Formats: sequence, C-alpha cells, structure tokens
Amino acid sequence: MSSTAAVPFWRAAGMTYISYSNICANLVRNCLKEPHKSEAISREKVHFSLSKWVDGKPEKPNCHVYKLSCF
Amino acid sequence: MAMAALRREGKRFALTSPNPINVLRSSLAPSEERMSLGVRGISTQIVRNRMKSVKNIQKITKAMKMVAASKLRAIQVRAENSRGLWQPFTALLGDTPSVDVKKNVIVTISSDKGLCGGINSTSVKISRAMRRLTSGPDKESTYVILGEKAKAQLIRDSRNFIELSITELQKNFLNYTQVSVLADEILKNVEYDALRVVFNKFQSVVSFLPTTATILSPEVVEREAEAGGKLGDLDAYEIEGGETKSEILQNLAEFQFSCVMFNAVLENACSEQGARMSAMDSSSRNAGEMLDRLTLTYNRTRQASITTELIEIISGASALEG
Repeated sequence: MSSTAAVPFWRAAGMTYISYSNICANLVRNCLKEPHKSEAISREKVHFSLSKWVDGKPEKPNCHVYKLSCF
Repeated sequence: MAMAALRREGKRFALTSPNPINVLRSSLAPSEERMSLGVRGISTQIVRNRMKSVKNIQKITKAMKMVAASKLRAIQVRAENSRGLWQPFTALLGDTPSVDVKKNVIVTISSDKGLCGGINSTSVKISRAMRRLTSGPDKESTYVILGEKAKAQLIRDSRNFIELSITELQKNFLNYTQVSVLADEILKNVEYDALRVVFNKFQSVVSFLPTTATILSPEVVEREAEAGGKLGDLDAYEIEGGETKSEILQNLAEFQFSCVMFNAVLENACSEQGARMSAMDSSSRNAGEMLDRLTLTYNRTRQASITTELIEIISGASALEG
C-alpha cells in the first residue's frame, strides 16, 4: 500500500488530489504501446489563459500550455 | 398617387442605405439620367445592392447553423456521458445549494464567442442573484469567471469582486485533463468555504436549464456531517487504508470539484452550440423574410417604371394619330 503512505508527502509538497491523479493518469498513458500512446497523449492537450484580478483590474494573463509528460 | 409613394420609398432607401458608397453612387451617377428622363428614373440599384447583402448574410448564418449543428452532435454525446461523473458524488454527498458559509466563490461558466442567444446573460444573471443571496455583513462572495462573455458583462458592475478569469478554454477539444488542471488552478488561487458553479445545463436544442452545483470545502463537509442529514450518513461507510476522515474528505472534495467542472464546461459548450444553432436558424429565416419584402418592392418599382414608359409611348402615338 505505497499509495496510502504517499498521501502526506504530496500533500506537503503543495499538490492537490487533482494534480496527483493527473500524474498517475499520465503514467498510465505512458504505459500504452506506441500507436495508442501518442494518440492518447495528443488527445490530452491543455490550453487556457488565466489572469488574476487585483483591485478590480486583471493582471497580465499567463497562458497555460502544459505538456503533461513534464511531470 | 402610386408613383409618389414609390418615389418616397426610393428616397428612403437612398437615405437609409447602410453603405455610404451606395448613397454616393445613387446620388451622383443616376442624377443625370433622372434629370433627362424625369420621374421614371427611380434607381433600383440601391434595392438590388441591399438584396445582395441580405442574401450574403443569409448564406453566412445558414453556414454557421450547419457548423453549430455538427459541433453539437459531437459534443452532446460527451456531455451526456460526463453526467455519470458527478452523479455518484451527489448520491454520496448530496447537493446543498442552501448551505450558509462565510466565503462563497461563484464560478460563472460562459462561452468565449457570441452569437449564441441568451445563454451567457442567463448564467451572468444567475450568478448576480447568487451573489446577492450569499453576500452579507460578515460573509463575502467572489467571482471566478470562465469565458470572455461573462467577463465582459460582469466587469461593468462587479469588477472588484472578480478573483480569477479564464479564457481560451475551447481552443483545443475539451478534455478532462485540461479541465482538471484548470480546477486545480482555481483551488490553488482562491480561498473558499463553498464553490458554486453556475452553468447552462443542456436539455434539448432549444431549452437550457440554468443550473448551480455546490461544492463544499472539507471543513464545511465535516461540520455539516455532524449536523446530520444526507452528509450524516457518511459515517456509515467503511474507509480502507490508513487515512483519516478529513484527508479523505479533502481528496473527495477536490476530485468532486474537477468532475463537476468537467461536466459543467461540457454542458455549457453543448448549450452554446444548441443556442447558436437556433439563433442562426431564426436569423436566416428573418433574412429570408426581409429578402421577400425587398424583392416585392423591387419588382413593383420595376413594373411601375415599365408601365409609365408604356403609357408615355401609347399616349404619344395616339396624340400623333389624333
């Protein structure tokens, strides 16, 4: 049961369950064989632009284009 | 009498023509003709141009309707399948829209593009009502906005309450990874006791239900669980592994949020395409009606000028004979 023991560690590293499960999902995706693997990875593209608002003004948006394989 | 009315009609077209070049051409080029030929020379040029532009607009709206219809078909299946993601959570934790907490975060979901009827205004309206309901002297509620359209509307009166805005979500195909990374960012950047997601739930191509989903923070879930009710049944479940209840609740709340967001984003995208389809349908119908009216005016004017010419020829001939 290594996963149950791991919980306090990724929590302490500032991760949420969502990012933890995303990394796990990405690991599973990487285990696929080749034609399916690149297909599955290309399907999961992440793109959005997020801007924080301070005192009623938007700050400069930062674009998120994640390559999940970098986890 | 009829000619006078038609002349007025022609003049009105010349004045109301949206294209300044048309006005210029109509006032310059046929003026010579009009002077030499008299009343007969009512220019049909403007009406013809107008008809052409209306026809083009109709073609565009028809094409947009087709595009929306094919996109809708693809996304509808995904939206309906994604309902299975949040239903277990609602069965387990229940939905508590009336919960009274200090920090409310309203997640308004809208589209990036317009021309899709009233779905964006609906979700903005619901969010505003939600804010009025949840804010109070010792309570605060803020907005997290998805999509350009809700941002443009909420910026006017509640710019001080916006915490985050997210756009360009639909550049690629919507997928769970994307929405979960987004949900992760929201969780990291806002403090909340309750997240209230406002979106348009897709029912059919013409009806969208403005919906809210409530996600509680783990502390509030625990507090509510002690108070009993649906959440009180949580203790009946056996927990495997060495985690404490609060850890599990935190994981659950985070995962619930990303699932609810995924469903909400898909439902809203689906509603957007449906609304766009019906909006474009009615606008191409309107363009058709307008085209009919213009054609009628055009033909009547043409007929009138032909009749006048005939009368002139005939009366000239009979004057010669007599």
